[in-house]
Amino acid sequence: MAIRIHIPTPMRQHTDGNAVVEVSGETIQAALDALGEKYPAITQRVFDNGQVRRFINIYLNDEDIRYLDNLETAVKDGDEVSIIPAVAGG
Amino acid sequence: MDSALERYSRQMRFYGIGEAGQRKLIESHVTLCGCGALGTVLANVLVRAGVGHLRLVDRDFIETNNLQRQVLFDEHDVAENLPKAEAAARKLAAINSSVHVEPIVTDIDRTNIVELVKDADVILDGTDNFEVRYLINDVAVKLGKPWVYGGCIGSHGQTMTIVPGETPCLRCVFEAAPAPGEAGTCETAGVLSPIVNIVASYQAAEAFKILVGAKQQINRELIYIDVWENILKRIKIAPLFGKVDCPCCRHKRFDWLDGEHGTQTTSLCGRNAVQVSHRRAERLDFEAMARHLQTLGDVQYNRFLLKFDVDGFNFTVFPDGRAIIKGTNDVEKARTLYAKYIGY
Repeated sequence: MAIRIHIPTPMRQHTDGNAVVEVSGETIQAALDALGEKYPAITQRVFDNGQVRRFINIYLNDEDIRYLDNLETAVKDGDEVSIIPAVAGG
Repeated sequence: MDSALERYSRQMRFYGIGEAGQRKLIESHVTLCGCGALGTVLANVLVRAGVGHLRLVDRDFIETNNLQRQVLFDEHDVAENLPKAEAAARKLAAINSSVHVEPIVTDIDRTNIVELVKDADVILDGTDNFEVRYLINDVAVKLGKPWVYGGCIGSHGQTMTIVPGETPCLRCVFEAAPAPGEAGTCETAGVLSPIVNIVASYQAAEAFKILVGAKQQINRELIYIDVWENILKRIKIAPLFGKVDCPCCRHKRFDWLDGEHGTQTTSLCGRNAVQVSHRRAERLDFEAMARHLQTLGDVQYNRFLLKFDVDGFNFTVFPDGRAIIKGTNDVEKARTLYAKYIGY
């Protein structure tokens, strides 16, 4: 088991095309750091000066981490983390 | 049954609408911002359902590449060089003549949005950019009007319903808009018609609930759907309400409405085009303009717009002075071209 991070389409060029990347870690921050270790180019697409970019939201299963403990929110094996940017088109 | 209601009989038989709900729909006013992919689906559903007054606002004209997903338009509209709002209104009148459809060809900005939405019972988002969405959010929160966000790209889309004072607003959920190129556009990443239809149909259902007063049924989550990757997510966003230090709904700072954001000249993301909004007090005289421009390039016009091709640039000029200039993404270049050919 691992934590599964869902990568949005525009960022998959940085994950060798993978839609889901499995990592381990005890917090959202640790899981995203592990993602960045596997695929270094994605870090700056998600973070700006250590903060999640403001048009991107991080969801743990079906909850927004901003009302949990933000990047310090605890995660466990089997959790699904989604990186979801705002969708502009229409 | 009242014969005027007969056409809605299947909808009225549905327990959530009934005759009382149908009468509410008939009395309702909706402002639909944008009449492209989401907007045409929304307008089609609302007009067929008998929503009595629909104000349809769009700044653009129809191109052949719109027909794959913009359900109210056809090849004839492209050949006629019709603005989207006007072409949609003509179709909608044939679909349901008892509905009052008011097409408005304009760019929505902070100077006109209050006028456009002030009598609306609900505001619907059929736009393609966050600049206008944050403006809609500002005006909706300020005036206390519900609105329904929708967005699509590629095979995925999102929607959420904002009820000021009860739910998080758009800025609570999305603190900022993606910069051009950061999240892709329909021009770079493409867009599938099925996701557009799903998101817009969900938005329309939300409008029905709001208009008939079925408040307890309103969607209070962020819905995310991807029809290619088979994802259907419902993100709980209600806890963000009051938790986020939102400049808009908590501090009542309306940055887009009060003009701290937004520009007069905008690069249209991914389209190799720039819109120059130079609103004038008087309508342009296309006949006189065409006489002047035809010595320089190819000109065509009707009463809605004037098209002019010169040196590889394509101008579409609207009677209020606004122009979309294709062939450049450079805002300064577009301003120069505008000044050169259209003048100030």
